[in-house]
Amino acid sequence: MATITSNQACQDIGANVRVLKSTGQLRELQTVLRDVETSRSDFVFCADRLIRLVVEEGLNQLPYSPMSVTTPTGYSYDGITFEKGNCGVSIMRSGEAMEQGLRDCCRSIRIGKILIQSEADTRQAKVYYAKFPPDVDSRKVLLMYPILSGQGSGNTAIQAVQVLKEHGVKESNILLLSLFVTPHALKSVTDEHPDMTILTSEIHPHVPVHFGQKYFGTD
Amino acid sequence: MADTAKDGSFSLSNSERTSRSSSLCSSQGSGSASGDDPFGDQMSQGDRQGMRRASRTRTQSTSDIKMLRTSKRTIYTAGRPPWFDVKGQFKEAFVIGICGGSASGKTTVANKIIEALDVPWVVQLSMDSFYKVLTPEEKELAHRSEYNFDHPDAFDFELLFDTLKKLKRGRNVEVPIYDFTTHSRTKQQHTLYGANVIIFEGILTFVNPEVRKMLDMKVFVDTDSDIRLARRLRRDITERNRDLVGVLKQYDKFVKPAFEQHIEPSMAHADIVVPRGGENEVAIDLIIRHVHSELEKRDVHFRSQLAAAGQGQPLPSSLHVLESTPQVRGMHTIIRNRETNRDEFIFYSKRLMRLLIEQAMAMLPFKTVRVKTPQGSAYEGMRFNWKRLCGVSILRAGETMEPALCAVCKDIRLGKILIQTNLNTGEPELHYLRLPKNISEDHVFLMDATVSTGAAAIMAIRVLLDHDVQEENIFFLSMLMAESGVQSVAYAFPKVKIMATAVDPEVNDKYHIIPGIGNFGDRYFGTD
Repeated sequence: MATITSNQACQDIGANVRVLKSTGQLRELQTVLRDVETSRSDFVFCADRLIRLVVEEGLNQLPYSPMSVTTPTGYSYDGITFEKGNCGVSIMRSGEAMEQGLRDCCRSIRIGKILIQSEADTRQAKVYYAKFPPDVDSRKVLLMYPILSGQGSGNTAIQAVQVLKEHGVKESNILLLSLFVTPHALKSVTDEHPDMTILTSEIHPHVPVHFGQKYFGTD
Repeated sequence: MADTAKDGSFSLSNSERTSRSSSLCSSQGSGSASGDDPFGDQMSQGDRQGMRRASRTRTQSTSDIKMLRTSKRTIYTAGRPPWFDVKGQFKEAFVIGICGGSASGKTTVANKIIEALDVPWVVQLSMDSFYKVLTPEEKELAHRSEYNFDHPDAFDFELLFDTLKKLKRGRNVEVPIYDFTTHSRTKQQHTLYGANVIIFEGILTFVNPEVRKMLDMKVFVDTDSDIRLARRLRRDITERNRDLVGVLKQYDKFVKPAFEQHIEPSMAHADIVVPRGGENEVAIDLIIRHVHSELEKRDVHFRSQLAAAGQGQPLPSSLHVLESTPQVRGMHTIIRNRETNRDEFIFYSKRLMRLLIEQAMAMLPFKTVRVKTPQGSAYEGMRFNWKRLCGVSILRAGETMEPALCAVCKDIRLGKILIQTNLNTGEPELHYLRLPKNISEDHVFLMDATVSTGAAAIMAIRVLLDHDVQEENIFFLSMLMAESGVQSVAYAFPKVKIMATAVDPEVNDKYHIIPGIGNFGDRYFGTD
């Protein structure tokens, strides 16, 4: 099987796609999540670590402004401060696995939810439930969904963005956080919503589609 | 007590001896010489109990537990000042060899020297620990008091040489405990570490030329043979319930000939002969003066030298600073702000530490592997390629990084090192040490929250090297370092990987980092 590394894969992808820098450490996590031998406990542990890395990188995309503070030693430090007005939105069910990672970084962030399921016969994604903070249209949205693959989940993400847009969120204010993306799904999502930013840990034709099942133990 | 080890009753005297030597060192406030925890104890209740357990298994004696408790305060005040130069290289320990016949008062002389030296970190090594393990036939002889324990052949000089050599070079050593009831080594061992002065005593310390070369000062305790015999009789009969005939027989057959053949002639190698043993105040005083002048030659004013080192040089290639992303800068802005409350300080510090640990993990070696996925296809990925990883924190502030490490590495082993600055000298001093067992092949994440001059960091790295950790396997992780600290650590240990979330340019004359973060430990633990 040909192995596509993340760096090669993202070359012909639009400017709004960001891939985490590939390190041995990151590859280790990705390997553990794919390995059929991995125990559920190790799976969840490594998934949470990977989620945390993606979330931390995602937060870097948020707007900030300069700020100077005084240190306890009495000197001034020129730093930055992040703007208020962000929120998270998870796509149920597997997107909820990423909520804790976001909470661990932003303790009081508002989190909305969308439930989307694919119709078994038509493979069309259908929205069952959506609940957002009231002023979601004025916020930056961190949309969370771990796996974007071929037919099903790519459509799910596209549909979720559609729902957000219907609630008045600008496409350019949406940042999709995902762990694994297939080149095919990435293309369909960016074709549909070119102004949205997508962040992932890896672009690879074979993604661990068992993620939600194994994370929640329903496999 | 090599010379008295002639029968089963020895186990008693052995334990009594050990307790005596440990009380000796601790009452001096010197680095207590033996046990798993060579640094005395001043930490939590749990640690203290651990220490007592260790001493108990070692000595089977309750008396020294009391000693430890009463002397705790003294131990606490006596940290070990730097035992290496700014290059991180060890200055050899000063070894005093004490030789003399059975019951000549070698131990008394050793005690008086330690007392009068008033130097912390004196380690006492006895030849008794190096008796050979006996074969069943030899054991038979020993039980009939017919095995010659006073002959050089009774000792394992190879092990003795290696141990003394390592100890002299500042390494951590495991000293065997000889069990005189079974005439073999017990499973437990003494851990000896941290000697600036080593006192090595026994009846045949000058016999082996290789060992003799390592002795910086050779003292022979010359006590009249009548007095020695009288002491021996009193000790063996009243304290060990032996009969007069047996003791005399042994004296005639082994002790006396050994003295005449091996011990007395070795007096020729001595630098100083002390007649009458421990009561000879003038001789002890002369010895002390000499040792002091030798130690002064080795003294360095460590921290001030460090602060001057490496100024204006480009930062070393062994330094890896966390990429200054908006989040990293944003979090630094929060934790550096003096207005930030503790809750936020802790929260954002932990987030930064987690990022630092993740980055450090990425620096470890990996190998390519091929795994099978649940979908049935193969995936070429990567897996860790190291034996084991352990974390060591420099107390107190380094401990704050442990939760982040544990969150990233399941079941990681953690060690702790307490280094504090002596307020009078400004020098760092080592007070407490507890490392995971057998760490020599581990990769080690050594953690301290802030580094200004690098003095404590260098000391901690030196401790790890003394425990045979490979220099290239050490990762020094810190929240905030001053450039001067980076330079000194990299200068001393170029192979150690240094990782920080930020590096500040300067240190002021109080060794505070500028612009800095304040006292990290105080802000984190709320003791400011």
